[in-house]
Amino acid sequence: MSTRWRGLARGASLLLCSAVALCSLGCKSLLTPVSPWERETLSRPDMAWESDRMLSSIRSHVFYSKEAARGGAGGSGGGCGCN
Amino acid sequence: MAATEGKRKAGSTALRALTSGALALPGLAGSARADSAAELFALEYAFSWYQEDDIDSSLVAPGSATERMKIQSHQIHIDKPWSGRVDLDFDLMQEVMSGASPIFVEPGPGGKPQQVMSGATIQEQRTDISSAVNFYFDTGRITGTGGVSTENDYLALSGGLEGVKHFNQKNTSLSMGAGFSLDTIKPVDTDEFPLRPEKENREGYDVFVGISQIINEFAIVESTVSYQRGSGYLSDPYKEVFVGGNRVADSRPEARNGFSWLTRYRHHVDLLKGSVHADYRLYLDDWGITSHTLELAWAQSLWDVVQIIPSVRYYTQSQANFYAPYFDQATDDGYASSDYRLSPFGAISWGVRAETQFPTGQIQWRGRISYERYDSGASYAIGKVATPNPGLVSFNVISFSLMGAF
Repeated sequence: MSTRWRGLARGASLLLCSAVALCSLGCKSLLTPVSPWERETLSRPDMAWESDRMLSSIRSHVFYSKEAARGGAGGSGGGCGCN
Repeated sequence: MAATEGKRKAGSTALRALTSGALALPGLAGSARADSAAELFALEYAFSWYQEDDIDSSLVAPGSATERMKIQSHQIHIDKPWSGRVDLDFDLMQEVMSGASPIFVEPGPGGKPQQVMSGATIQEQRTDISSAVNFYFDTGRITGTGGVSTENDYLALSGGLEGVKHFNQKNTSLSMGAGFSLDTIKPVDTDEFPLRPEKENREGYDVFVGISQIINEFAIVESTVSYQRGSGYLSDPYKEVFVGGNRVADSRPEARNGFSWLTRYRHHVDLLKGSVHADYRLYLDDWGITSHTLELAWAQSLWDVVQIIPSVRYYTQSQANFYAPYFDQATDDGYASSDYRLSPFGAISWGVRAETQFPTGQIQWRGRISYERYDSGASYAIGKVATPNPGLVSFNVISFSLMGAF
């Protein structure tokens, strides 16, 4: 594992953890807690992370087969002869 | 003919949970896992047609085929309630693939790289089966997954475990998980192509941790980091490399460590009855590849029954350390690949999909139709690309699905 990669991974993890800690301790003014009965808007279909899991799976699978990057949103991926 | 670089464990834990972990809100629509056990039995079918553009004849070696891959995919998904706190998922995918594929790149007139394609149109079939068991608690969920993916020359077994924990009346959710994949490849036609190995194995592991946070009643954000490790035979047995005037087997390091960081944001604009979707992913690995992915979409709701969702995606990647279109001499460490997927390039895709959900009697229906166009090229990459790989691909994907829950 290269030093460059290890350093970047450690930095990004630290950044994420810091963001979480910051939000929980110091960002409360930016967040408005929403009670369960107030979540009608958040539960709308147009607010879904992925409204269609199977389409997300296909897209993830295609991009995985055509690009070097791994990970991210999307469903499962499997083997593919699309080379 | 299968590309091991393109292989992926069925039911990747990290990929699956990155969708489900975010849905830590009661009643949040979507086909990924919700926050409580399914109450209805659901059956969904999807069909996809994928077709690559022919490769430009000016980019291929004389006599090489120009037609590329076509793939038809059939998917089935089942949600099965088991008890008040347990439900089951089942996924089946079957693909039929045909077309010519890139084999290696050689120097043409003036040293310009030209792609050599496979001589014959291949026909292949892939079957991918995965399942999951979900246990729901008052403050979270635990999911166990398992799967099998198989082709005539390839077998992958996978599994994983993930969990979600809610806080602050589910305003905040923490998700984490881990998964593995054990792959075996037995390339075909090894007598005819002696550079291909007889049999190879590889392993893959991934872990992730993510957090989703409601910002207010109109907005939510999610951020997830994941680490992936691959080890064993990571080369592509069906690809070769032009090194010092000779064709040699594609050769990649026996380990790969990757890191990805995905952040997603959703914001509803009540005046327009639609929502903004913004996703960004950073990827880094120790093969020297850095990539950025940005995807934007606008989900327009019509009469609360139909959603029209146009989207655009931008992708850019740097090259692997051991990549070149071809090599004038052998590399110091012996690693070399001319696979376009390890080359520097960028890609822009745009798409549109329409979704609808409606009840008829006791059945809840959901339907979707979508189209996406993907164009890749060296000119789309961040940074100058000295020598574009001639095998870069562009394609169209058309897909539709129908689900009934009862």
